[in-house]
Amino acid sequence: MIICSNCKHANMTGALFCAECGAQLIGRDTLTTQSIATENLKTASRRTTGEMSQPVEGDNAWANLHLLDTGQVLPLSSRNEFTMGRISEGQPIMPDIDLSPYQAYAAGVSRLHAVIRRTGVTVVFMDLGSANGTFINGNRLTPNTEETLKHGDILALGKMRIQVLIDKK
Amino acid sequence: MSASQPDHYATLGVLRDATQEEIKRAYLEAAQRLHPDKNVAAGETELFLGIQQAYEILSNPKRRAQYDATLPPEAPIDNKFIRHEVYFSRPSLVQVKEDQLLYILLEIEPSAKQSGSLPAPPLNLCLVLDRSTSMQGDKMDILKATAVQLMRALRPQDVLSIVAFSDRAEVVVPASINLDRRKQENSIQMMHPSGGTEIYQGLEAGMREIRRTLDPSRVNHIILLTDGETYGDEQDCLLLAEEAARQNVGITGMGIGSEWNDIFLDALAGRTGGSSVYITEPRDIEKFLVDKFKSLTSTYADEVLLEFKEQERVRLNFAFRLQPEGGQIETNSPLHLGPILRDAPLHILLELVVTPGALEEGDVLLLDGNLKASVVSQPLPVPPIRVRLKREVFLEPKAEPPPTRVLKALSRLTLYRMQERAQSAASQGRYDEAAKHLQNLATHLLSQGETGVAKTAMLEAQNLENRRAWSASGSKDIKYKTRALLLGSGKEKTS
Repeated sequence: MIICSNCKHANMTGALFCAECGAQLIGRDTLTTQSIATENLKTASRRTTGEMSQPVEGDNAWANLHLLDTGQVLPLSSRNEFTMGRISEGQPIMPDIDLSPYQAYAAGVSRLHAVIRRTGVTVVFMDLGSANGTFINGNRLTPNTEETLKHGDILALGKMRIQVLIDKK
Repeated sequence: MSASQPDHYATLGVLRDATQEEIKRAYLEAAQRLHPDKNVAAGETELFLGIQQAYEILSNPKRRAQYDATLPPEAPIDNKFIRHEVYFSRPSLVQVKEDQLLYILLEIEPSAKQSGSLPAPPLNLCLVLDRSTSMQGDKMDILKATAVQLMRALRPQDVLSIVAFSDRAEVVVPASINLDRRKQENSIQMMHPSGGTEIYQGLEAGMREIRRTLDPSRVNHIILLTDGETYGDEQDCLLLAEEAARQNVGITGMGIGSEWNDIFLDALAGRTGGSSVYITEPRDIEKFLVDKFKSLTSTYADEVLLEFKEQERVRLNFAFRLQPEGGQIETNSPLHLGPILRDAPLHILLELVVTPGALEEGDVLLLDGNLKASVVSQPLPVPPIRVRLKREVFLEPKAEPPPTRVLKALSRLTLYRMQERAQSAASQGRYDEAAKHLQNLATHLLSQGETGVAKTAMLEAQNLENRRAWSASGSKDIKYKTRALLLGSGKEKTS
C-alpha cells in the first residue's frame, strides 16, 4: 500500500500516481536535467540515527554534493558553474541541477534557488533570491551575495540539507 | 522436412497450437481475400492454392498430426510486418498480501523494412452524415463543401460513398469506382436538413454501401458525423459496430456541438478500435474530416487485435490507446487496439491488478495471448505474434524507477482519468465530489503549463458547485482536451 503524501489516500502497491488527487507517488521527475553524468552517481548507504556514512565521491569532480536527506552524491565536474533548483513544466530557465527527484518541492526548493561556482581553487555559493532562503551551517545568506565554501559545510536550500565535499586533489 | 516444403502454419498465419476453430477462421479470411473469382493480381492464384493445401492438411486432425511430426522444433517467429516493444512500470512484483498494480506500455509499429516500400492503400470510405433539422445552417453548408472537396481529392483507386440520415437514411453517393463526379456533387448539394436523428438507420445504410466494395486490401471505414442524440437504438448500433469489426470495417464518430452523446459515440467507435472526435465549431468540420482522410490513407494495419486468456488472479483493469487516436479500450478479449499508421505507431497502456493468489508460485504470468494485425495491401495473412509477459516476484520492492515513457504517458493519462471520475461523480449527483476532482485536475494542469484546459476545469468546478450542472459543452470540452494532451505525450516519444 502507498499512502499519498498529498491527500492521504491509500493507493495500491505499484501505483505511480494517486488515484484520488493525481499526485505523483514516486520521487522522480520526468524531466531530469542531464548535465551530470548519471553513471557516476553512486548511492551512499545511510545508517541509523545521525551517524553519517562516508559517501562515495565521483571521479574527476571538483566538488561533490551529498544530499543528506536521501543519501545520494552528485559529483560536479565538466563545468565550473551549476545552478540548482527544481524543474517544473513550462519554466523558461532550467537549473543545471534538478533536485526534484529528491523531494525538492516538499523541501521548499525554488525553481532557480542557488548557484555553486568554482573560481580558481575556491568554491563559492550564492542564493538567487529563493523563496525559502539558503543557509550555510545554519546562517541565512543575503540573496545575490557570494559566500566561500569550505569542505564539509552544510548547505540548506529551504529544508533540503546538502553537505559540500570539496575535492582536495 | 526439406527446405522447400512450405510451412502451412505460416501460410495460414496461425500459431502451431491453433485450435481447429482458429484454423478454419484463418482459412476463410484468407480465401476471401484471394479467391480467383475476384480477379486478383497476378501470382495470387498460386497463393490461394497454397492456402487451400495448407487448410486441407491442417483441418484434418490425422493429417495434421502426421504433418506436425515432420516439422522442426518451433523457432521464434521473426515477424516481417510488425514489431512490438513492451515496457513495464516495474522490473518485478513484490510479495505482498494485497492487490498490486502493474502498468504495461505496448508499442507496436511497422517493421522498418516494410513501411517505406508499400504503396498507400486504397480507401473504401463511407461518410454517414446526420441531416436532421438541427444541422441546418452553417453545419450543413460546411459539411457539403467538405464532402465535395473530399470527392475531388479522391485518387482513382479510392471509393467514397455518402449516406445521409435523419429518421430514415438515403444513399447520396453510392459506393462505386467509376462515377460521374459532377452528378455526385449535385446530389451532395441537394441534401436538405429535416427530421430527427436515428443513427442506426444511417449506420445500416452505410454498412450496406461499404459492403458493396468491401475488400481486405482496402482500408474500409465509416465516418459517422452527428450533432444530436439518437433515441432508443443505441443497442442495435453497438451490435452493428461489432459486426463491422468482424468484417474489418472501422468506425470513427464525430460529434458537432454539445448535444450529442459522447459516451455512446466512443463505445460505438471503440467496438472497431476507433474513437470519437469532438468538433466544437462548425468551421472545424473541414479540418477534422480532411485530417481523418489523410490518416486513413497512411494506414499500415487497419486493426490490431490482442487476444488473451482471461485469468482470475491477474486482472486487466484498464486499457487505453495513447496514439494514434486516444481512446479507452474495452477490457474483454480480444482487445480492439486500433490501427497502426505509417508515421504513428500504436501505443497502448494496460493497467493490471495482480492479486496475492498469483504470487504463489515463482514467476507470474501477466498476459498470455497473441497480437494479430491485419496489414493492408498484404495479401497473405500476417502470422500472429505471441505475447507472454512474465515478471518475477521479490520480497522487497526494487528501487529502480519506472521508464520515463511509462511515467510520462501515465502522468497524462492520470489527468484524463481524473476527468472521468469527475464525470461519473457528477452523473450520480455527487456534484461536490465532482467539483473537487476538477479542482485537483486544474491544479495538475496548471503545473504542467496547460492553462487553457485548467481554466475550463476551474469554471466547470464552479458550475457544478453553484448550479449543480455542467455548462452546455463543459463536460465534453474537458474530456476531449485532456484526451488531446495524451496525443502530445505520444508524439514526443516517437521523436
